[in-house]
Amino acid sequence: MFDLVIMLSRYLFVIYIGLFLWEAIVYIAYEQGGYLGSPYRAVSIQRRLVVLMHLTAFLILSYNTDTHLFHWQALAFGAAALVFILVAIQLLDRFYYEGCPLIWTGMLFLMDVSLIILHRVDAALAYKQLVWMALGLAGMLLLPSVLRLIPRFEIFEWAYIIVCYGLLLLTQIFGVEHGGSQNWLQIGSISFQPSEIAKFLFVFYLASVFRKRVELREFLITSILSAGVVALLVLQKDLGSALIFFMTYMAMLYIATSNEILVLLGMGAASLASVVAYKLFSHVRVRVAAWRDPWADIDSGGYQIVTSLFAITTYGLFGSGLTKGMPVSIPVVESDCIFAAICEEMGVLFGAGIICIFIMILYRGIRITLDCTRRYYSLLAVGIIVMLSFQAFLIIGGVIKLIPLTGVTLPLISYGGSSVLVSLMMMGILQWVCVYCEQHNQAAEEQRLQYLEGGYGDE
Amino acid sequence: MNNMKKSARRVFWLLALCFFLLLGYLGKLALVDRETISANSYNIRMRTDMEGIQRGDILDRDGEVLATSIQQEDGSYLRQYERARMAAHITGYSSVGKTGVEAAANFELMTPYRELLQRIEGLLSGTDPKGNDVVLTIDMDIQSIAGDLLGSAKGAIVVMEPSTGRVLAMQAYPDFDPNTVSADWDYLIADEDSPLVNRATQGLYPPGSTFKTITALAAMEYYPDWQNFTYTCTGEETFENKVIHCYNNKAHGTVDMAGALAASCNCYFAALAEEIGAENLSKEMKACGITADYGFDLAYSSSIMHLDKDSTESELVETAIGQGKTSVSPLYMAMLISAIANDGVMMEPYIIDHVQYYNGETGKTTVPNKLMDICTAEEAAVLQEMLIGVVENGTGTAAQISGVTVAGKTGTAENATGKDHSWFIGYAPAEDPQVSIAVIIENSEAYGSATPVAGKVLKAALENMAE
Repeated sequence: MFDLVIMLSRYLFVIYIGLFLWEAIVYIAYEQGGYLGSPYRAVSIQRRLVVLMHLTAFLILSYNTDTHLFHWQALAFGAAALVFILVAIQLLDRFYYEGCPLIWTGMLFLMDVSLIILHRVDAALAYKQLVWMALGLAGMLLLPSVLRLIPRFEIFEWAYIIVCYGLLLLTQIFGVEHGGSQNWLQIGSISFQPSEIAKFLFVFYLASVFRKRVELREFLITSILSAGVVALLVLQKDLGSALIFFMTYMAMLYIATSNEILVLLGMGAASLASVVAYKLFSHVRVRVAAWRDPWADIDSGGYQIVTSLFAITTYGLFGSGLTKGMPVSIPVVESDCIFAAICEEMGVLFGAGIICIFIMILYRGIRITLDCTRRYYSLLAVGIIVMLSFQAFLIIGGVIKLIPLTGVTLPLISYGGSSVLVSLMMMGILQWVCVYCEQHNQAAEEQRLQYLEGGYGDE
Repeated sequence: MNNMKKSARRVFWLLALCFFLLLGYLGKLALVDRETISANSYNIRMRTDMEGIQRGDILDRDGEVLATSIQQEDGSYLRQYERARMAAHITGYSSVGKTGVEAAANFELMTPYRELLQRIEGLLSGTDPKGNDVVLTIDMDIQSIAGDLLGSAKGAIVVMEPSTGRVLAMQAYPDFDPNTVSADWDYLIADEDSPLVNRATQGLYPPGSTFKTITALAAMEYYPDWQNFTYTCTGEETFENKVIHCYNNKAHGTVDMAGALAASCNCYFAALAEEIGAENLSKEMKACGITADYGFDLAYSSSIMHLDKDSTESELVETAIGQGKTSVSPLYMAMLISAIANDGVMMEPYIIDHVQYYNGETGKTTVPNKLMDICTAEEAAVLQEMLIGVVENGTGTAAQISGVTVAGKTGTAENATGKDHSWFIGYAPAEDPQVSIAVIIENSEAYGSATPVAGKVLKAALENMAE
């Protein structure tokens, strides 16, 4: 009987995510001048869908098929997480008045999926993840006040890159290895990934430099410094992060200069560097070999990618149903391969929906960039959204074997303190730019109107 | 500023394209590659029998049950093989890992059709949903006769329908009882005769004189004057540093190709091979599909050839008479003789006919598929005539069936470690081939012992097909 409930719930999850995306279309259509429904209603339906998904999932996760009772601990965690989501909706609305609502709902949806799938894989991880999320939320709420205190934080461009280098060099010297990459710093019992914090600083640095007219001298200095960061990451075997930094640099350079030749040159240099890295480093060759033919080496190199392919394909479009699959068999399922676990138990269609939510967030992020009149903030927003989107592409593509697997986290979903905190803070800055520009535009509009009125008065 | 907006839009589209690529590739994984990937034996989701699902049955082409799952008192399922050893190498087993059809069709056997509907029905009747049944091309009547005739002689028999590539019977001995594999495991893997190896598909043997069919085709292709080529056999001849004997050093006198095939004259074909040349013979071997990947459902070994344009003369003449380093599987030899019978068209062999759902509906059905053309219809017709001669008045008379014309070729493969292996490949009726066969008997006591076995199996198969 309960099996049947789980089977039916698979369709529910797909319906939830389908409706969620439809309501996003309703909202965007309204902005573009089409009318499919009220945009306010669309957002409130999206929020309800997150809550519904949460309830469905945690009722299933807490049911014990042997005793036919609900597991109180799981229920309590589900309730706590629900409270967290509801509070987050309320507070974010208040602290970021006029932030983009679709980015908020999309973010909460992904965070909720994270809690559900982590609880399924290992409940203890979900507890910790919720704590990180709460800390991240607190940071996001403080962010607007902090940024208001610093009127022009673009003048610290040198500080950003120096701290960025400092962190990476510290890792280079004192770093410890976790899961094949030497990119963790350990202070007492806490270990964290400095490359996550470096992401932040890097985007701030580039936005600060590119806000001015880019002359040859600045271009050369920035390129060399950025290449140095990427090279350090490659040395630390953190290939995923190296790629993310590189792509962010290219995207921001292109947007700042609109110069296609520079982009082509950059791509050429990167291809050359990849070939050199492939020849020099065995860990690069191992990754590429595992991607090209994981089946040839299932027992060692190809194991992770092959098991994640099994997870994705075995149960098909609707998945096995929560608790019915075997996601625990996938190595590093809680971070690198979490997308495979989602596809396994909630279905490939649901996984496709997750990709669509990332597209939605990307679209809204670019929208913010386009609407923003201040070059610095515009660059900041685009840097952040490119970084997040490319990271999502990199790890999902790796897990489904479209591209070589690099061990980065899936933003907002994968388990990990540094990853959650930094992702949430980035979302906060993105929204803050949105709020700032909205207010700025409004102020400018009012001034213009006043000026016009004044002008008429003179006549 | 406007330029900046244009660039930002372009970056958006580039990243969006990346995400669309993800969607497309994910769709391909889930819809196209799903079965091939998830059926891999490393997939533990498929290895452990899922709780609450009854594994589907394996049936022969008349619906006889070969493997089924019986529910025990504790709710778990026990796999039962009704015909035990008789179809062991076909069904394989599903206990200590999976082999045979159990492995090949694992995905279908474990996937209930309309699972939701079956579960709702199950609420009332209390039964678990059942995976799909798999219907084979095997005919258990032919399979049983082949098994009885092979008896306890090491070897293999493959019976095939030449025009489609359907495998009608496939016997290999030594065999095992799939019902007790886990209990017998230690003994089965320690046994030097490797009873778990399916000799019909995984056994590799030197082809012996059956290979002369390929040498004959090579002559027709690359030696225009082959019809006028005759040779006077004295029972023994030296080529380079290799001495070629005819069987028992029998001198066959002056023979042409038909005569040499009928008498299985080694000296004739060795001399003919010199005219053809190593490069051309190796080309012909490839054209006959020795190295082709034919993608059979069950585990199989690819045949091996060691001949190219740089091979020495002694390698060439040895290969031409089926000795040397060439190794072929009985399944490949059945494919080869089927292709000759089928006017030169080699079909892909298959053993799973279709999938059958729990409600009796037919699911995915295998469609016969051409693998390659090994020769022209005219060349095949010439060779067919000669092969009829082999059975009518040559070395293959023991395969004759009264009232039916049989065509075929015998072979004796010299074996470095023991007594010779005996081969026969053939088909009947010669005018309108219905069944073809390949038989190998290892270390046979009697000369040509595969030939009478093949004749009897062909006779039984024809009677069975006519019913």
